[in-house]
Amino acid sequence: MLHRRTVVASILVVVISACTVDLVLSPAVGCCLSRRGSSSAVPPIAETLLLSCIALAAILAAVRFRETGARTSRRLDEAREEAERLLKVIDNTSAVIYLRDSSGRYLLVNRQYEELFAIRRKDIVGLTDHDLFPPAMADDFRANDLKALAHGSPIQMEEIAPHADGPHTYITIKYPIADATGRAYAICGISTDITELKRAEERARQLNTELEQRVRDRTAELEASTRELDSFAYSVSHDLRAPLRAVAGFSEVLLEDYADRLDKDGQEYLNRVLAATDRMGGLIDDLLDLSRAARVELARSPVDLSRLSEHVVAELRAAEPDREGGVEIRVEPELKAFGDPALLRLVLQNLIGNAWKFTAKKPDARIEIGSAERDGEQVFFVRDNGAGFDMRYVDKLFVPFQRVHSFHEFAGSGIGLAIVWRIIARHGGRVWAQGEPGLGAAFHFTLPARADAGEASREAV
Amino acid sequence: MTDAPILLVEDRLDDVLLTRRAFAKAGLGDRLLVLSDGEECLAALLPAVGAPRLSPAFVLLDINLPKIGGLEVLRHIRADGRTRHIPVIVLTTSAERRDIRDSYRFGANSFVRKPVSYAEFTETVRVLSAYWLAVNQPCPPDPACP
Repeated sequence: MLHRRTVVASILVVVISACTVDLVLSPAVGCCLSRRGSSSAVPPIAETLLLSCIALAAILAAVRFRETGARTSRRLDEAREEAERLLKVIDNTSAVIYLRDSSGRYLLVNRQYEELFAIRRKDIVGLTDHDLFPPAMADDFRANDLKALAHGSPIQMEEIAPHADGPHTYITIKYPIADATGRAYAICGISTDITELKRAEERARQLNTELEQRVRDRTAELEASTRELDSFAYSVSHDLRAPLRAVAGFSEVLLEDYADRLDKDGQEYLNRVLAATDRMGGLIDDLLDLSRAARVELARSPVDLSRLSEHVVAELRAAEPDREGGVEIRVEPELKAFGDPALLRLVLQNLIGNAWKFTAKKPDARIEIGSAERDGEQVFFVRDNGAGFDMRYVDKLFVPFQRVHSFHEFAGSGIGLAIVWRIIARHGGRVWAQGEPGLGAAFHFTLPARADAGEASREAV
Repeated sequence: MTDAPILLVEDRLDDVLLTRRAFAKAGLGDRLLVLSDGEECLAALLPAVGAPRLSPAFVLLDINLPKIGGLEVLRHIRADGRTRHIPVIVLTTSAERRDIRDSYRFGANSFVRKPVSYAEFTETVRVLSAYWLAVNQPCPPDPACP
């Protein structure tokens, strides 16, 4: 507004002065103008107007010049502010920022760069990395610059730069910067020190390697002890059973062939030998089952637990066809599971066998094999109304050789439930028991479905 | 029923004595021939050309044998045309899945675990003999085989 008023005022001044000039100087100017060649006489008012216009133009030019000057300096101020702001942005970061032209000469670095490599911003301009860093490093930096130029958009890489305490690793982003015509004339690099991260990563990797080695060592140890157990079980199977078979065999031969030369006591003692060998045979078999349950590879397939149970029941009935009082046994049909059939048979043999044994003194013995759903999970059970047990001893049940009943009450090796526990655990299932003395016991177990079967099932060769 | 011998390959004297008696009980005592290791067994079944060859009605083979093991003996029996047809019953103490599997894989006709109870064993011997001597007689050797 001010300028416009100045202009109007100037115009007025010019017009007024022009009139004055006209009055005082018009003859001279008129002569001058007429001498410049116009044949027609220039009217004095036109002269005045012309002169006024020239003066006005001159004034306007002067005014404009002043205005432009002011605007330019204001723009320069703004640009300086802008530059300072941008410099603050690049100077107040922990990242190293630098700008190099397309031939690798420095244009700009930030303060972090200055401090890290001990060089001032104004001194670095025009230098290249080959003036500042070892040749191999400088080559790398240059190669990455060229890559960024060729790529046209930001690329990321790791770079190594020398520090007082040794080489540091940087994660660097580089991107080309283009001029108004779109030609890339510079590369900007932003590098962040990730040395600590790298060291932590390296430490983690080392720890991992150590851990893997330890796992390998332990696995080898375990495999060795498994092999030991394997050969132990094998020799138990052969070396203990063979002499036992001889003891049992010759005792029977004596009873059969020499009965007439043995009195009643002699025969009774031999029968006791036979009964003991029988128990020992059972014990060896149970021990073998226990070790087998721990070491054989699971060969899983769909298993019909109902059918397996029926077989076990049939075997028990066949072994003791005239059991006093009889037993009512109910097997729920269609009990489907997924597991190792041979091992699951062992589970049922032990659980149903126990139920059979502990209901022996009941006149109305009942055994039930079935399943129930609990929290969306199928729970199998073997339940009886036999001798039961005191829940105070529930923890002892699944421990090898721990017996809840005296041997004279109910014979047994004390291994059966340990076998059950081990087999179910290897399948990734759970087993637990409930009981009440004189009223009966219930053994529950779960088996993971095919999809979430934990241990990989490898088919035996 | 031929009078071909029944071959028992067994190194434990206890087992030999008890098995012999079990066969005697089954009325076959005089037909039982005992060899005590794998080498002897192979020498009798697969002798050098010209030597007399033993041709048993069936073989009861232990797995744990000195010199040449039972499974190796079985492999040789099945590999040779002269003996391929002879029924072989693996009769052993082991009940290892591995032993059972390997026995059948190498061509055993049957796998029997020696029970601790001698009465049971006697019965087993009687049933086995009846089966392999009377019910399931092997085909004569194939003349086309070398």
